[in-house]
Order: sequence, then C-alpha cells, then structure tokens
Amino acid sequence: MTGERSSLLFVLVLAAVFPFAVQNPYILHLAVIAGIYVVLATSLNLIVGYVGEFSLGHTAFFGIGAYAAALLSTAAGLPIWLTVPLAGLLAGLFGIVIGAITLRLQGPYFVIVTLAFAEVLRIVATNWIGLTNGPMGIAGVPQPASVAAAGIVGGKQIYYFMAAGMVAVSLYLAWRLVRSNSGRAAVAVRENRFVAQSIGVDPFLTAMHVFTLSAVLAGFAGGFYAHYVSFVGPEVFRFSFMASMIIMVLMGGKGTLLGPVLGAVIVVGLEEYLRQAQELRLTLFGLIVMAVVLFAPNGLMGLLARRPAWLARRAAPALVSNQGEPA
Amino acid sequence: MSARTVLAVSDLTAAYGNATALHGVSLEVREGETVALIGANGAGKSTTLRTISGLLAARSGRIAWEGKDITNWPADRVVAAGLSHCPEERHVWPEMTVEENLRLGGYLCGSRREVDRRAALAFGRFPRLQERAGQLAGTLSGGEQQMLAIARALMSEPRLLMLDEPSLGLSPKMAEDVFAVVRDINRHGVTVLLVEQNVHNALSVASRAYVLETGRVTAERNAGDLRDDPDLLRTYLGG
Repeated sequence: MTGERSSLLFVLVLAAVFPFAVQNPYILHLAVIAGIYVVLATSLNLIVGYVGEFSLGHTAFFGIGAYAAALLSTAAGLPIWLTVPLAGLLAGLFGIVIGAITLRLQGPYFVIVTLAFAEVLRIVATNWIGLTNGPMGIAGVPQPASVAAAGIVGGKQIYYFMAAGMVAVSLYLAWRLVRSNSGRAAVAVRENRFVAQSIGVDPFLTAMHVFTLSAVLAGFAGGFYAHYVSFVGPEVFRFSFMASMIIMVLMGGKGTLLGPVLGAVIVVGLEEYLRQAQELRLTLFGLIVMAVVLFAPNGLMGLLARRPAWLARRAAPALVSNQGEPA
Repeated sequence: MSARTVLAVSDLTAAYGNATALHGVSLEVREGETVALIGANGAGKSTTLRTISGLLAARSGRIAWEGKDITNWPADRVVAAGLSHCPEERHVWPEMTVEENLRLGGYLCGSRREVDRRAALAFGRFPRLQERAGQLAGTLSGGEQQMLAIARALMSEPRLLMLDEPSLGLSPKMAEDVFAVVRDINRHGVTVLLVEQNVHNALSVASRAYVLETGRVTAERNAGDLRDDPDLLRTYLGG
C-alpha cells in the first residue's frame, strides 16, 4: 500500500512543475479540465469502487455544485475560495438526502434511481426559471480578480494551481476515507456483505459515509467548473459528463486511488486527440469500455499491479456469497 | 446442568422469500457449553445461526440472550451484545492482508489500543497467522483461512461464538486442528454454538447436540449418548 502512496506523491510533484514547463494556454486549459475530471472520477470511484454500487446519477452532485457556486457568486457576490467549498458542502447535503433514499437499494435498482435523481434535477434546472434562469443558464460567473489581471497564460496558470489544490484536497480526503474504519468497512461490505455484518458493520451507515464524501467532492468539481467556464446551464446534469466519468473510473481501475486519476488524464487527452474523428469518438470510447470490461476488469491499475490473475481468481470462490441459500 | 441459560431460542421461524426454512426451532445454550446443531443438508442449521445473529429476519418466535429479547436486532447490535457469528465457507477478505482481516474483526471496538491488544492475543493463539500477518488472506490455505475467520470472529471478544461448518472442505488433519482450537476457545470461557455436517467431529467437541430435520428440532441429546450409540445416531440422521 505504500507503493500507492509514493506514486501519489510523485504525481503531485510532477503536477507542481508542469505549468512552468508548459507555457501553452491550450495545454494548460486541458490540464485544468483534467483536474476537474480527476476530482469527478475520484468521487465516482468512491461509490463504484468502494461502496460497490454503480451510480448513473453522479452528475446530480456536479450540477448542484456548479449551480451553487454560480448563484453564490453572481447573486451573493461571494469569492471563489468560498463558493467552491460551499458548493461541496451543499452537494454533500444533497448527498445525505439522496443517499438515504438510494442506498437502501442495490444493484440495478440503485442505478435506475440515481439516474432518475439526476434527470429530475436537470428538469428542475430547466424549468425553475426564477432561480436558475432556465435553459438560458447563468452566464458571467465571475473570474477571480487575480486571473483577470494575469493575462492569458498567467490566468491559466492560476487556474491550474487552483485546480491542483482542489485535486490535492480531494485526493487527500479520499485517501483518508479509504484508510479509515469506514473505508475498510465499505470494502468489507463490497466483498462480502454478510461477513461484514457478522463483525458488526452497518452496511447502510458505512455506505452513507462514503456516498456523502463522494457528493462533496463532485460538488467541489462542479463549483470550480462554474467559475472556470463562467457559464452554468442545465446541461451540467447531462449524461455525457456521466459517460466520461464512468470511462475514466473503469479504464483507470475502480477501487484504487490512483486509477481514476490516470483514467481522467488519459481520457481527457484522448478526447482532445480524437476531436478530428467527431462522430467516431463516442463509438471508439464505447469500444474502449467494452475492451476494458472484457480484458482488464480492474483497469490499468489492475494491469500494473503484477499480481498474477490466477492468484486473484483462486481467492474468488471464497467471495461467492451464498446469500439466500438455506442450509 | 447448574449453569445458567445464556441463549434461549423459542419457536423460531424464518424464511427465504416464500420458502420457509425454520418451522419453530427451540433450543437453549448454557454458559460455558459447546452445543452442536447437527442434521442433513438443508435442515436449517445455518439458517438458525443467521437468524440469531440478525443476518436474516425472524418471522416469529423469540431469541433471548442473557434474558434480553434480541429477536430481529440489527447484526451490529447483536455483535455488540457479545454474540459473534463466524459464517460458513470460511469467508475472509482475500484482497486484504491477514492482519487487516483480523483487525476488522474488532470493528466495533473504538479503541485502537484495545484492538492492538486483541490482535496480539489472536496472534498468540494462532502463530501461523502471525507468520503470515502481512500476506494477502486469499493466499492462505483453506485451514489457515478458517483459522483466520475464527480469529476474526473472536476479535469482538464474544461470550458466545457461533461457528458455521468450520471443517467444511478441510482435510481431516486440518479439521482436527480447527476443533482443537474450538476446544481451547471453549476452555477459555467462551460458550460455543456449532453447526457441523460432520457429526463425529461435532460430537467430539460438543457436550450436547440438537438434531435438526427440515427446519425443526427432532431431538436433543448429550453428545456422549449419541457418540456411543451409533444406532441412535442413525435413527436421527437417517445415515
């Protein structure tokens, strides 16, 4: 496990030097977008990789964060260093409410209900014109004054460091959670619900902890996105964000901290690279996801961890729980 | 027979969906005993344990633990009350190390130092696990995994340990080792309720046994009587 920790540190150091080595605003822009997606993928990974349920409605928290930051800065005039944390907090509150409902469900039911929540929020954002300005969205979410003063490259550099700061905070929180009792308990539940219960783990409460932190992180990403793009409309709830997050988590390797980081960076890069192949892009991504699920179910991290497959497989039969089978 | 009754199950029924698995099971466990539930596959032995430990809801009946009604308590409360259930098929978390598996057993214990102490005790009792503390649990042999599962169940320092088929899939030698451990645990004051398909193993550690058949208790005997009277045993188990 120390390997994971030191590689995380290595990534952080690399990230600190990056904006000085690269002065190109386009590359810096991609790096900022990658930073936002790293946080989003880390956040989704907490649910997919640690709770072990598949959420299709994670854009709900991203969107709430984005709208919260947009409204707090345009209507209440709060600065970015307040709006982003508040966006996370608000998303966390929604996480508690939505989690309290959805985490009672498992498998496909959980998937459908989380998807429904994101859809409902999209419809609310489209129609509650008094608050959200409807389909017109909220334009002109203010940039920090320092960014406006720093010119094109300087501005991007500042955003880059803000994004890096957000990534660092998010990864730290995720790391703490995973290493905490709740994180271990979540893995225990994911691997074998009955055994986890038999040692006294409350699966619902554990999942709530993880789910709420996940919502907070997605809220951070949304809040930061609002300021960076300076426009928020109902499309923040759209499924395409969700699709990107899923690809990142699956490709990088769910249930590892570094996997989603890798996945986010690679997918953002690939998406730009494949821009010429407009229509084919989504098809290609579909193929990539299928290939990952079929050939590397644990993603890149699974390939990197050189533990031979037969070893993992030998342990697998012990995992097939015999729930519902009278004995 | 002067020891007090710690666990009293009366008229317990439970079902998986529409399939009723227990049709009114009653049994008693006294302090310091080792009691075995024996019977054929599908007789309801494991189901009885699951219902007691809160993994499966009871339809009716009553489970009393030290005088308190614990029927349908959530599993974590049952563990906190001093009952520990070691589920069948020696489930360990294969991707976690032996030590992580073990320490998770003390999940409800708030104090890190206390978990340290209990882990040290467990390693003292199971030196094999100490040797493999840093190894992934999935790489252990079947017998070692069973030892780990038992050690983990003991981490909550239960007063009643419920073991579900601890010898399942183990070599006779390994099974013998496991039962030596069970005897040792019992000697240290932990009451044991044991489910076993291997009747001879079960009777070698238990003082009393209940015979279950299709969700009902059909007999209750001293283990010695059953052991010494193969005919009697055959009557009950149809073997």
